[in-house]
Parts: sequence; C-alpha cells; structure tokens
Amino acid sequence: MGFCDNLLIVAAQPILLYPDPALKAKTARVDPANPEVAAIVQDMLDTLKASPGVALAAPQIGRLVQIIVVDVSRKKGEQGHGLVVLLNPHILQQDGPRIIREGCLSLPDYTGNVLRYERTLVQGLSPDGLPVTLATSGFEALAFQHELDHLDGRLFLDRIESLSTDLFRRKS
Amino acid sequence: MNRYAMLTAFGQDRPGIVAALAEGLFELGCNIEDTCMTRLRGEFTMMVMVRLPDGLSADQLASRLTPHTSPLGLTVLCREVPARAAERGSEPDAPVFMLSVYGADHPGIVAKIARVVADHGGNITDMNTRVIGAEDRPVYTMILEVQMRAESQPAALGHALDGLKPSLGVDLTFRPLEQVRL
Ligand SMILES: [Zn+2]
Repeated sequence: MGFCDNLLIVAAQPILLYPDPALKAKTARVDPANPEVAAIVQDMLDTLKASPGVALAAPQIGRLVQIIVVDVSRKKGEQGHGLVVLLNPHILQQDGPRIIREGCLSLPDYTGNVLRYERTLVQGLSPDGLPVTLATSGFEALAFQHELDHLDGRLFLDRIESLSTDLFRRKS
Repeated sequence: MNRYAMLTAFGQDRPGIVAALAEGLFELGCNIEDTCMTRLRGEFTMMVMVRLPDGLSADQLASRLTPHTSPLGLTVLCREVPARAAERGSEPDAPVFMLSVYGADHPGIVAKIARVVADHGGNITDMNTRVIGAEDRPVYTMILEVQMRAESQPAALGHALDGLKPSLGVDLTFRPLEQVRL
C-alpha cells in the first residue's frame, strides 16, 4: 500500500431520486480533454460500485453531462462488454422490439412495461477520446437504452407502452 | 394513524365520470392513493383506494358522495381497509409470469385454470378476460399475470397447464416476464 492511497478520495455520490430536477434536465456534450470529465467519471464509477445496479448516467449524480457507465457483469450470469464508460453516446440502430418490465434506481419500488430492443448499436467516445462502437444485445442492450434515456431526461415512465387492457382494444 | 377506504364505482359509461368522482373525493378531503379503472363493455368500473380525512368514516364517504355520483347513475360502495394492507410497501421481488389462454367459449375455463395456478403456489395479480371473435364463433381469451412464490415450481405449473389443454379445448402459453432494474 503506497502512501498515496491515503489521499484517495472515494467519492460515491447519493443516487438522485425523482422528483430531483436533474433527472428531467437537458445534458451537455463533454470534451474528453477537460480534466473535470475524468473526475466525474471517477465519481460515477465509485457510485456504481457502491450501488446495487449495473449502470449509471451522469444526471443520476446531479451532473448534467453526457456520460454513462455500464457494467452488466455486476449481475450474476451476465458478461456483455464488462465495464464500459462512454462519453457523448448515441444509438446508431436497434432492432428486435420486445416488452420488458423495467425499473430504475432513481424511481425505486416501481416497475412498468416498456418497449425496448433486443439489440442496440451504440457509439460514443472512450474516456481518452477515442471513438467506440459497441454491438450490444440482451440485458446489456437494455442497460444502454435505459442509460441513454437518462441523458435525454427521460424515465421509463415516459415510455410505458400500454395498460394491460390495451391488448383488447378494438380496432376502430 | 392513517385510515383508508376502498371505493368501488360502476355504471353506464359516459364522459365525466372520473372527473365527478375525483372532484367529490377532493371536496370531502379524501386523498386518492391507487386507482384502477376500466370499461367492461359499456360499463364503467373503477376501484379507488382513498386515504380518509379525520372524522370521516367509509360509510359517511359513500353517502356524502351521492350528490356527485347519483346524477351519473353510478353505484358506489365503500369499505374501510386495514392500514396494514393499504400502506405502501416494497413489491416483493418474486418472479412474474404471463399466462395467455384462449379457445372456443364454454363455461369453466377460468375456474379450471385459476385452480391449477393456485394449487401450484401461483398468485394471480392481474387478470383480464374477454369474449372476442366473430358473433357466431366466440373466442374466450384470458390474460393473467401470475406471481410465483419463492418455494413454488414454475415448471410444474407450466406442465400442469399444458395438461389442461386437451380437456379444456384451449391454447395457452405460460412464460416469464423479464424484469430488469437499472
Ligand atoms: Zn435509471
């Protein structure tokens, strides 16, 4: 153990809960060269580590910037790409629509049926500024879709597809 | 301590019923907690869990709502609900399954299916049934959400349900609903 370890500040942040306005705010693109970005990423990684979840978006710790961290290997039986940090991410394409029941760390104790996609192609920048394209599927694809929504101020409540009875609506 | 009542209302559907009920509850100082409302054919049906204000009983609520509801021809029933049932708790993290059953309409489908679900430790937490199809070829459909108790065996339930298909003359699928918390 080096003496620098004593200076290491583990900065796990509380995960903000709705109705915190940060969860509905617009987010700004980031410049990977900005030293503040590395600090935010580190806070997010520390927060993810201390959380029961597999992914986080910057607005969930009150930073209104386009950064997500995803690590589905935190869930038993999932592998995916392991830990991924993406700056300014966006979805290139997705396919395989499916309804799943989704919940969010920022809206505890509630889940709703939403339309998601089985496969998602995501593009963004790595923390050192290199372009990254990731082909994700299954649970990992769901995690990316969910976190990208956070960067748009969108919660799963904004995506509830239908009440169960909608299945029976007549064509009119 | 909070007191709660379950209010059920039904009557011929028309625009403005929800507004009239909600306004009545608001004026009486009731807080609308959880609600479920739908139409069964032309009939409006609603269940509302309300938090009662101090000094108002569930019986009084029903009678004081009458000026709001009788012009709409609504039947309204109110019963007090024990607080331990009405307080919000976290949902148990039990596996959830969807069950679709459909076939030519005949009596007894719901009873047989629900009995098998219950006997295998499944709890029906949501259910919709409809008679659909052409007038002369009615098709009975039911969609159920089933929560399985921790010690129960979903595979055994699936097997037992499949076993009902020939005798009931229905098609069915029993499948897990994927739940993700992100
Ligand atoms: Zn979330």
